[in-house]
Amino acid sequence: MRIKIHILMVLTAAFSATLAVPEVYADTASSREYQIKAAFLYNFLQFVDWPKEKIADANKPIIIGIIGDDPFGNVIEPLKDKPVEGRKIVIQRFKSFESLKKAGENDAAGAKQNIKALGECHVLFICASENKNLREIVESVKNSGVLTVGEAEGFLDVGGIVNFVMADEKVGFEISIASAKHAGLEIRSKLLRLAKKVIQEDAASGILGEEKRDSA
Amino acid sequence: MRFLQNMTIKHKLISITLVTCVIALLMAGASFIAWEWMALRQNMVRNLSTQVEMIADNCKAAIAFGDVKDATEILGALKAESSIVSACIHNKKGEVFASYSRDKTGGATDLVYMPRPIELKKSGYVFENGLLNILQNIVLNGETIGTVSIRSDLTPMYVMLKRNTVTTIAVLLLAFLAAYFVSSRLQAIISRPILSLATVAKIVSEQKDYSTRAQKQSNDEVGLLINAFNEMLEQIQQRDLVLVNTNEELEVRVKERTAEITGVNEQLTKEIAVRKQAESTLRENEEKYHTLFDTANDAIFVMKGDKFADCNIRTLEMFGCTKEQIIGHSPYRFSPPTQPDGRNSQEKALEKINAALAGQPQFFEWTHVKYDGTPFYVEIGLNTFELKGGMHIQAIVRDITERKKAEEELENLNRELEDTVEKLTLSNRELQDFAHITAHDLKAPLRAIGTLADWISTDYGDKLDETGRQQVRLLVKRAERMSGLVDSILQYSEVGRVVKEKTKVELNELIKDVILDIGPPDNMEITVIKELPTILCEKTRMRQVFQNLLSNAIKYMDKPKGRIDIDFGENDEFWKFSVADNGPGIEAKYFEKIFKIFQTLAPRDELESTGIGLSVVKKIVEMYGGRVWVESEIGNGSTFFFTWPKEESEAANNDIKLEANLVG
Repeated sequence: MRIKIHILMVLTAAFSATLAVPEVYADTASSREYQIKAAFLYNFLQFVDWPKEKIADANKPIIIGIIGDDPFGNVIEPLKDKPVEGRKIVIQRFKSFESLKKAGENDAAGAKQNIKALGECHVLFICASENKNLREIVESVKNSGVLTVGEAEGFLDVGGIVNFVMADEKVGFEISIASAKHAGLEIRSKLLRLAKKVIQEDAASGILGEEKRDSA
Repeated sequence: MRFLQNMTIKHKLISITLVTCVIALLMAGASFIAWEWMALRQNMVRNLSTQVEMIADNCKAAIAFGDVKDATEILGALKAESSIVSACIHNKKGEVFASYSRDKTGGATDLVYMPRPIELKKSGYVFENGLLNILQNIVLNGETIGTVSIRSDLTPMYVMLKRNTVTTIAVLLLAFLAAYFVSSRLQAIISRPILSLATVAKIVSEQKDYSTRAQKQSNDEVGLLINAFNEMLEQIQQRDLVLVNTNEELEVRVKERTAEITGVNEQLTKEIAVRKQAESTLRENEEKYHTLFDTANDAIFVMKGDKFADCNIRTLEMFGCTKEQIIGHSPYRFSPPTQPDGRNSQEKALEKINAALAGQPQFFEWTHVKYDGTPFYVEIGLNTFELKGGMHIQAIVRDITERKKAEEELENLNRELEDTVEKLTLSNRELQDFAHITAHDLKAPLRAIGTLADWISTDYGDKLDETGRQQVRLLVKRAERMSGLVDSILQYSEVGRVVKEKTKVELNELIKDVILDIGPPDNMEITVIKELPTILCEKTRMRQVFQNLLSNAIKYMDKPKGRIDIDFGENDEFWKFSVADNGPGIEAKYFEKIFKIFQTLAPRDELESTGIGLSVVKKIVEMYGGRVWVESEIGNGSTFFFTWPKEESEAANNDIKLEANLVG
């Protein structure tokens, strides 16, 4: 029990170090988890290098997209006030991939437009509600330089780049360097060090294999 | 410093070089070490900064994602650096996020070694307690998300420093030795010529050998010095020569002067001796005077105003008191209230003192009283003298009590004598009167006897025999003689008894009368040598004088042809008459006797003389203030002189006469 509290404290500390969490949120396990995940999303911005063309216009905001049923609620809102390298952060929410496609059926151009909007995001968090559409979503933004972040098992296998995992009630993440490379993203080693699991360059070939960090 | 001054030049030079070297080396060494120390520190800081920066960079993600394990691992890499004692990562809140400790014993003690955050927002370093603390902020996206601090000990620096210091010291020592070696060789360049110069100077000063010369070895200042020294020696040598000559001259002069001075000295010694003699004489005199002053028979004292200021011993004896009892008192304290003349003592004394002060020495008699009141008589002489600007009175006081007594006695005696004389005069007069009366009274019976004898001779001459007649004749003769005697006595007694008025007497006439009266024998020649004057006198007496003198000459004449010369002389006061005869003369021993009454030189019967004549002369002459005397030689006659005082009018007359003569 003592250890738990300790870890919680550390987590809280780590989170608060990067992102001030409003006190108004209900202090539930779920909301705490998403607080941390929100902070992680923000921190990823600092250890990932986007292709130049993606960040060419310094005046344009950095877009964090959230697709599916938003689990963050208000927790994510403070990110908007914390610019990264002078660039504002915009949270863009998408209802679901289905609805995007539907909109496209009605109007092909519109759908295309909507799906294209996904590709304009810098970070795209795919909520658990979209687990069935993971492959499609990942495919749709594959070459758009979008850091896809999911929280589903096997996310990396379908081409996702970062996947949140829970270990010992602690939020961790996995990274697929191969997917990142495909997306034209560069992930810093510092971030890689922290990843619970890193899928190297060619996951399919398996030559390099996957590196798995042992967790204490 | 004295120690330095007494060192030889050689040692001084070496010392100077060495001291300079040591100072330079020490300064260089010290600066080197100091610089080294600074450099090492900087180096260390730099190294550590690099490390801490790396750590800060490496653990950014760990902090961002709260990965303690990762952060701890990163810190764990510091193990490679043995000097790092501990390291710590703090989060934004200042809480320990991860830590590392070299001497890990585990648990909470780790925290003891934790470097504390210096200041969260500031990177930097600080040396503290021999430890270097360095802090680096961890900045992510422009935001400080934590700090990394490392604490390192300074062992590597000290090790380096020690090694460098040891090396430096070794180099210093070597340099010092080298400097010593070099300087002890090189100092000779400077010291050798100076030392040789010093040696020469010593020889010159000890042996007085001015012919020695120093060897010149270089052309620097020492060379100049040696040149100058040699020149100086040259000059000294020359001057020495001159000096020797001068000295000889001087010696001669000194000898002369010494002789002179000796002479002067001897003279001086003599003079001093003389002066000493004079001084001792002076002292003796002083003593003498002092003794005189003290032992004087007279009291001598000094008064200031009317107070005693000083006195001699005799004064104290005289007044019967001590010095303290008299000094400061006035003389009338020692006097009775009044003096014998009835005057107040004080008044009179002041009068005398003032008179003396006015410059009139006083001499007077005084009655004093002793301290106990006994009176005594003195004679006082007052004189003034000036001493130290003040007028003083010197009084010499002689006790005349004894003399006074003697005087009184004398006075008494005199008075007695006067009484006696008076009595005597009275009795003398009575006697004279008695003689006169007796003589006068005797005359009548004598005349009667003479007449009677005459009658007998006449009437009874024929009746008497020859013897009878002879005796009657003798009787008549004796009666006549008796009558003469009585007449003479009468004459004598009458002198001075009856004083008659003086008249002008023409002496020539008077002599003629006298000669006529006497009727001298024919063989007598009486001559008046020059005309006699007319004088004012009692004629009878004068006649008596001449009559007696002439009678006397005639009476004793023994020559067949007698001669008598009458002469006179005069001066202002008296006449001097002389009657000279050529008679038998008188022995000198009788010159006085002949003028006494009843004295005759011839036997009574030989010459009819009463022995009164000359005494009458003497009596008359002396009565009138003249003198009578005789000058005579046996066989050559006698000259009787007598003087007769001139009356005042006579002297005046003479003057007139003289004047008349002058006019005429």
